[in-house]
Amino acid sequence: MDERFGEQITRIASTCGELTFEVAKDDLHDVATALRNEGEFGFEMLIDVCGVDYLTYGSDEWNTSSATGTGFSRGVEREPVILDEADEFDTRRFAVVFHLLSVRHNLRLRLRAFTGKDNPPVMRSVVDIWNGANWFEREVFDLFGILFVGHPDLRRILTDYGFIGHPFRKDFPLIGNVEVSYDAEKGRVAYQPVSIEPRTLVPRVIRDDNRYSADLKDNADG
Amino acid sequence: MEERGAGMGLASSAEVAEPGSNDGSEEAGESLQKKGFVVTSVDAVMNWARTGSLWPMTFGLACCAVEMMQAGASRYDLDRFGIIFRPSPRQSDCMIVAGTLTNKMAPALRKVYDQMPEPRWVVSMGSCANGGGYYHYSYAVVRGCDRIVPVDVYVPGCPPTAEALIYGLMQLQNKIRRTSTIAR
Repeated sequence: MDERFGEQITRIASTCGELTFEVAKDDLHDVATALRNEGEFGFEMLIDVCGVDYLTYGSDEWNTSSATGTGFSRGVEREPVILDEADEFDTRRFAVVFHLLSVRHNLRLRLRAFTGKDNPPVMRSVVDIWNGANWFEREVFDLFGILFVGHPDLRRILTDYGFIGHPFRKDFPLIGNVEVSYDAEKGRVAYQPVSIEPRTLVPRVIRDDNRYSADLKDNADG
Repeated sequence: MEERGAGMGLASSAEVAEPGSNDGSEEAGESLQKKGFVVTSVDAVMNWARTGSLWPMTFGLACCAVEMMQAGASRYDLDRFGIIFRPSPRQSDCMIVAGTLTNKMAPALRKVYDQMPEPRWVVSMGSCANGGGYYHYSYAVVRGCDRIVPVDVYVPGCPPTAEALIYGLMQLQNKIRRTSTIAR
């Protein structure tokens, strides 16, 4: 891989021997074409296309350094993060991950490409390389709002008709913005603003449980 | 005839007349003497018919649907209660909402409900249909199918067992039996 692509790809360390490479957004299409067509690679099968939102990557949603007094299902106050109106994103906010399989060589490979700072995020489509990417890319577009240039029919695939927003973005509220109920006067199912409060479930975590510490065990034994 | 009627739930309202106690025409009297007859109220017959042939619309949305199939299959066998799943809302008088009702599915569910002929009943099966359940805080799920259609019986569970669903359907039968059809 390194010999063939050189600077175009960067190996990402893996703890369990998986092959992951990071590709620049502009090189993605060339690299992907080569990976499929050249005999020494032969990645003729696209297993999956994923989107990733790194907005809150590495930051805790709740503090677990002490045991929770109230146990499970305690609501957490948190500041809403609204960044979608921003002109530019962090360059490492959105990534698209491609999972490839080479049947010929029994090899699996993962490619990750960041979308850069554009708002909305844009990525080159790979439908012309692997036809199966069609619905995967529609799904990524639906849930993350990443546009795929060159996609033949980029519509929403999972969410409701007329849905507003991209629910897998970290700044999308989990409870959403609208809810439905039957309106007897209008005689149809109608939308209205959501009526419940957001809530985060906090698992009951006990850190530093001294009952199981080595010192106490030794004392108990003798 | 008497025994069968009693078994079907007519025991309280049906009275079996003694042969020969009627002073009708000779021909009719003869036939009555041979075959017997039953006196009941229209109300009781209609309720008996409705409880005995509850045809549910299959509306399986998620894993609850598998338990619903289980209830319909040979071990629990809903056919014993006269409950036969119908694929068409026009032929059914009961809808079992089995599973998670999403926002996208809600208009379709309502449309199917509107297409069912009166009288009609709705059984909400499982936590998701009862109140959103596991997905209560989701952006895509209706927090209870009673926001979309009027519900008669709620069956709790995630998913409810086939026995629970049958118990719920028997409760629905009790409810129908109690209803005064003519007064309504």
